[in-house]
This record gives sequence, C-alpha cells and structure tokens, in this order.
Amino acid sequence: MTDTPSGLRDLQAWMQTQVMNPTRFGDDDVGRIVRPSSRLDSVQRLAIYQRAYLTRLLKCMSDQFPALRHALGDELFDDFAMDYLTEYPSMSYTLFELGARLPRYLDEHRPDRDRAGGRREPWIDFMIDLARFERQLFVLFDAHGHEGKPFATPETPTGRMVLQPCFALGSYRFPVATYYHDVRLAKNPGLPPAQPSHVALVRRDYLTHTYRITGSQHAFLSILTGGLSVAEGLQSFAHEIGRSPGDVHDEWESPESAGQSWIAAGFFVDSANHP
Amino acid sequence: MISEPGALEELPRLGLGLGLRSTHFDHILDHWPDVEWFEAISENFMDSGGRPRYVLDQVAERYPIVLHGVSLSIGSTDPLDRDYLAKLKRLAASVNPAWVSDHLCWTGVLGTNSHDLLPIPLTSETLGHVAARVMQVQEFLERPLILENPSTYVTFVDSTIDEPEFLGALSEQTGCGLLLDVNNVYVSCFNADLDPVSYLDSFPCDRVVQMHLAGHDHRGNHIIDTHDRPVVPAVWELYRLAWHRTGGAATLLEWDGNIPDFEECHTELLKARSFMGNHSEEGRAPSGVNQGSGPESLSTPVDFLVPDVMESAVLE
Repeated sequence: MTDTPSGLRDLQAWMQTQVMNPTRFGDDDVGRIVRPSSRLDSVQRLAIYQRAYLTRLLKCMSDQFPALRHALGDELFDDFAMDYLTEYPSMSYTLFELGARLPRYLDEHRPDRDRAGGRREPWIDFMIDLARFERQLFVLFDAHGHEGKPFATPETPTGRMVLQPCFALGSYRFPVATYYHDVRLAKNPGLPPAQPSHVALVRRDYLTHTYRITGSQHAFLSILTGGLSVAEGLQSFAHEIGRSPGDVHDEWESPESAGQSWIAAGFFVDSANHP
Repeated sequence: MISEPGALEELPRLGLGLGLRSTHFDHILDHWPDVEWFEAISENFMDSGGRPRYVLDQVAERYPIVLHGVSLSIGSTDPLDRDYLAKLKRLAASVNPAWVSDHLCWTGVLGTNSHDLLPIPLTSETLGHVAARVMQVQEFLERPLILENPSTYVTFVDSTIDEPEFLGALSEQTGCGLLLDVNNVYVSCFNADLDPVSYLDSFPCDRVVQMHLAGHDHRGNHIIDTHDRPVVPAVWELYRLAWHRTGGAATLLEWDGNIPDFEECHTELLKARSFMGNHSEEGRAPSGVNQGSGPESLSTPVDFLVPDVMESAVLE
C-alpha cells in the first residue's frame, strides 16, 4: 500500500467542492490551480464541469421521478432536486441510488413540518407519497425477480405458497398509482383529492404491475412479506381480525376470491421449488 | 499484479462494436443485428436482477462483450471500493468479457460520487498513486485493466507530464492496456491548445487494445464531449491515423444522448471502414469545426444509464 499524496487529496477535495457547490465558485484559488487556455480563463474552464454537474444529475432525477416532475412542474422540481442533491449528494457508484433519499428529503424539508398533522398542506403529502411510489417502482424494475421460473398455481398447496421475490406493498394518502399512470398516458392529471390508497406491486415478464387493493388485503399481504406461507398468513390474519381460520381459508379457496386472482397474476411461488 | 508479458497481445481484435443501450434492447433481441461486438456499461448490470441483466446475458451468448466502467475512480484519493470491485469481478465471471475497462480519472472523494470523469494532475506523484491502485485492481480482478484517456476541460498548473507519456508509463509499470478514445484526444487537445496529431505521435499505441469514437459539441472556444451526434470529419481523420498506428484495435462507437435508432448508430459505426486504409503520416487532422448553436450540450451524459421505468409499468 502506498501513501496517498496529500497534495492530490487536497486538490480533489477542493475541486469537488468547486464542481458541486456553485456558491463557492469564483474562488481566487482557481487561477493558482487551473491553467488557462488561449480561449478560456481558469474560471471559465472549471465552469464547464460545474455547469455539467447539476445538469447531468437533474436529468437523471427527472428520469427517475417523471410523475413527480409533472406534479411539481419543471421549475419547482428542479429547485427541489437541486437542494436535494446539495444535501444528499450521490454516495454510490450507481445512479440507481441517486433518488433513494428523495422521499425522506421532501418529508424532512416540508415547510409546514412544525404544524400538527391535521394542519399540514395536503399537496405536500401528495408529493411525498408520489415520490415514495415512484421510488418503489424504480427499485422493482431492476430487482432480482422470478422471470424464467414457474409461479405457483391454484394447485400449489397454500402451505408452500409464498410471495415471489419481486413484490412490494404501498399505502398512501392519495391515489398516487392512478395519478402516475395518468401521467404515463399523457392525460395531464391535476392534483387529486386526498383518498387513502393501497397497492401491491409485482413484476412479471419484466413488466411492473400495480394492483389497487383494499386495506384488509394490504394487511393480509403485509403478513406474507415477513416470509410466511399463505396458509400461515391466513391463520395469522384470521386471528388478527377475530374470525375462524377455517372460514378465512374457505374464502381464499373460493374461485372468485382476490387470492385466486393474485395466484394467476404471479404474486406467489412454490417454496418447495424455490427454497 | 503486473499482467503477464504478452497478455495484451493475446486480447482479441474484435472489429467494430456498439455501446449496448437500453433503447436498442428490443431491436437487438428481435433482429440479432450483424454487429461484431458490444460494450456494456458495468455499473448498469452489476446489480441488475431485471431486464437489463437478462438482455446482457442474451447478448453475451451471441456476441463478444466488453465491460466498460464509469465509477472505478482509479485516480481518487478515497480508498478503492472493494464492494464495487467484488461486484465487477462477479459480473465479469458471469458474462466473460474480452476485457474490462474504465477511465484515467476520479469521480469523487470523501465518499461522494460526482458521476463525472474528473481529471487528475499528471505528475510523478500521481503516476505512482494511480499505478499502485491499478496494480491492486488487477490483482483483485485477476485480469489486466484497460484505461481510457478522458475528455478534459481543464489542465492543472502542477502537471508536469503529458497525458500520452503518463499513460505510457502507467502501462509500462502495471501492464495495463489502454483504450484510446479518439474523440477525447480531439476534444482535450482543442481545450488545452494542443495538436491532436502530435498527441497521437507520442501516444503508446502498442498498448492500445480498444478505441472509442463519438460526437462532440464545438462551442467555438471549447469543445464538449457529448456523445450525442455523429462523429465529426476531423475525428474520423484522426481515427485513420489511430487505426493504422494501433494495428487495427477494436473500435467502438459511443452514442449516449439523443440516441437514434439502432440502424442509424450502426451505419455511423460502419463509416469506420472508410478510414481503415490510405493512411497519411504526413497529413495533419483537419480542423473540421462544426460549431454548435443553441444551448451548450451536456458533457459525459449519464442519463442514458437511467432506465425508462414508466415504460414498463402497468396499472391493473
């Protein structure tokens, strides 16, 4: 292991600050460090990197949150994203993590943060929930999934039926999934009224499907996300809602039940085949 | 690890290749086009469990693949990212690339990633620093690393070594190979008041295993390496020299912004065939200024690395 040159370390810390923090730009040090060219002075040369930094990453943020950008408008989205990148610069080798902390950032920096829950601005709740939904979709897009392998069928015993790996649940204060897909279809949606919504997200054939579900369905599927089989989950859910396990299981087996449609939709795999 | 003598010479001459871009995935899977090889951006696939990785696996079954990284940060003073290297090694073991490349640059310090390819001062001190890290990377990956000359917009007062000499010494000390980005030569030389042919004259072309071609945005007083348009005539002329001097190193076209359909990219790539003969050692590269108008384009675009998730989302 060789010593890290302190001069290089200092230069890189200085240059990174210059590139990432425009307010520090114009530092007199620039001329002592960067050589001018025949056409540009030192500050102008460094400015090429500084202009590119934010432009480059704002474009990536837009690509990761297209519905949020639609909801906020281009200018406000860029303002939020710039502040976010200043507070939470990328710490990862991959751009896939660039927007990971945006929902948290929006929550931490909401202007009505000190108000009681009931007196907060609903539109801010919407933006936070929409960012959470978009981030979840983004994660599922490239998560390890179950493509190329068999899913559970109605004949799979419920004691061996578990959720497939590329699955997520969401609960929101607004119908963000509907809003997102309206943006996708270029319907130019406006801010929807507050209305609790629950979704199950599942990837199949590399398409990420959003299923709108009820609160009790969300509660049941949440039990399964802990790794329990459907049989175990039904037992636990029946106990939770004070019903007989037999009745709950019979409802599950009904051809018209949501559970049977979830099996067809690829929510589940057979744990015997995929331990 | 200094790579074994002759290790670079054993690397294949791949011919003409294209960057593997998600916007072309469907076309490639539907048509299996007559391209000699593909270059995949390592970071886009090393964590992928979704369609990107599926496509790469399919492509790797049918074409030679090269892995090209943008986050190794070999010039940084931060410690090497062992987690990143482990993932890169796993990916390489899986898709069996002809080689693994990255850039002579740093992308961040203090744990931060700018996602830009930032230049280092070129001195004997930084040469020692980078060489030590290249050795560690090669030791870890158990293969020679291939490093690219970056496009640069600044030069440092403290630099004492020319870039070709620096890369030559680095290659000699570590056994690493070189990726000669011909467009970057043109861009960096213009921005630093250097002559690109003189740059090539002193470049260690015998260490080059691959070349890059790309378009750029000429702003009059500087050039931005944009990868968003066709290769300019002056770069093609420079490529003619480079192709001859490297003995026909594998050549890849990068098109990362305003990416046209696959056929247009491929047609642009195949123009390279016109520059593989009739080299003129006396000739100088023409200035070929196609000055851009409108707003300045983005250097080193990376948004092509972000997938269009909305496109694959379905509401039931």
